[in-house]
Amino acid sequence: MTGTAIPRLHLISDRRLCDLRSFSSIAAHAAAAGVDAVHLREKQLAAGELLDAARTLRSGVGNAAIFVNDRIDVALLSDADGVQLGESSFSVADARSLSGGRLLIGRSVHDVEGARRAADDGADFVIAGHVYETASKAGQAGRGPQFIASIAAACPLPIIAIGGITPERIAEVLAAGAHGVAVISGILYADDPGSAAALYAAALARG
Amino acid sequence: MSRVKIDWRARLPESLRLYVLTDRGLSRGRSEREVVDAAIAGGATAIQLRWKSGSIREALQIGRDLKAMCAQSDILFVVNDRIDLALALDADCVHLGDEDLPLSDARRIVGERMLIGYSPPTLEEALDAERLGADYLGVGPVYGTSSKSDAGEAIGVERIAAVARAVSIPIVGIGGITAANAAPVVQAGASGVAVISSVVAADDVEAAACELRAAVDAARRSRT
Repeated sequence: MTGTAIPRLHLISDRRLCDLRSFSSIAAHAAAAGVDAVHLREKQLAAGELLDAARTLRSGVGNAAIFVNDRIDVALLSDADGVQLGESSFSVADARSLSGGRLLIGRSVHDVEGARRAADDGADFVIAGHVYETASKAGQAGRGPQFIASIAAACPLPIIAIGGITPERIAEVLAAGAHGVAVISGILYADDPGSAAALYAAALARG
Repeated sequence: MSRVKIDWRARLPESLRLYVLTDRGLSRGRSEREVVDAAIAGGATAIQLRWKSGSIREALQIGRDLKAMCAQSDILFVVNDRIDLALALDADCVHLGDEDLPLSDARRIVGERMLIGYSPPTLEEALDAERLGADYLGVGPVYGTSSKSDAGEAIGVERIAAVARAVSIPIVGIGGITAANAAPVVQAGASGVAVISSVVAADDVEAAACELRAAVDAARRSRT
């Protein structure tokens, strides 16, 4: 998949906030409004249910890329575009070989060292956070846009900023070196997720 | 690399005689490696790495060792649920349940690179599984079990007999099986027994495996 553009506006699932049926409907609206990547991050879900959810998304989100967290088998079977790996997941090299090079590979990183390793390992992009304080990681202070700047200085990969990102904050994370942003509650909690997604997409387009 | 690949499918009835599943929580502080080493010494014929949650990096490290131990003794090495892990470990077999990836999808990924085992909740699903290409069936819980909280009501050896009559692929009984109650499972038509606690939680894992294996072998002899 080399040469494929890395998506810039990522929506990530969280069953604690939103069940998967609602998520696929929100994801469809969000994709129509400019979200270009949808992630299933559901570590406790049985594989059968995860596969069903990924296939439902596949048919609902149009051209948006689909990423499955951790499970390469589910990503392959659901015809997803990529897999998102954490520190305890398969290595990038394992993921590359298991998928026969068919999947984009994102790495989630929480510090500069992790981002540097992701680049050395040959990941396609990193999701880095959390940048601002967020309900998903309550009680942990955000590290601010300078965190993105320090990652950008050490890691040549496209950086997707995560953690408390609002449309108003997009300009400063892009200025710090982010390629795009990932959103959970900012869209899942919105009264109108489609309109919320449109605001994010517009802010990204403005740069 | 020069070794001829073992035809596990042809050997399944023998490989299913004593099938031991790992479970760290029940292993009383012993590692998977220790437990599997002792189980193999005691006569286990198949080992399943059951990795319900946690780090795949760690599962890969442990799994590589278990796979090597099994390969050295020509023992069937099975990975539960995760096909990606099974492929990365070059396992001989992946085992799926009704909440895992569907059989037909699993076969699309693994092709003939490995066997696929399946645990059908009902007799109808046992027939479906055979039709969809399962290589063997795990049928249970035969007796009451404490190892799997989601295992459901005991089905008894009658179900083993019913499934054995209905399908032509080998089956292994699972659920609450010990050396004392293994014989009826085999007499009902199972190739062998699958166990968790009666081996991994035993004071002496090797001795427990040895007793179970002897019980299965005796029942298999009396069946013919």
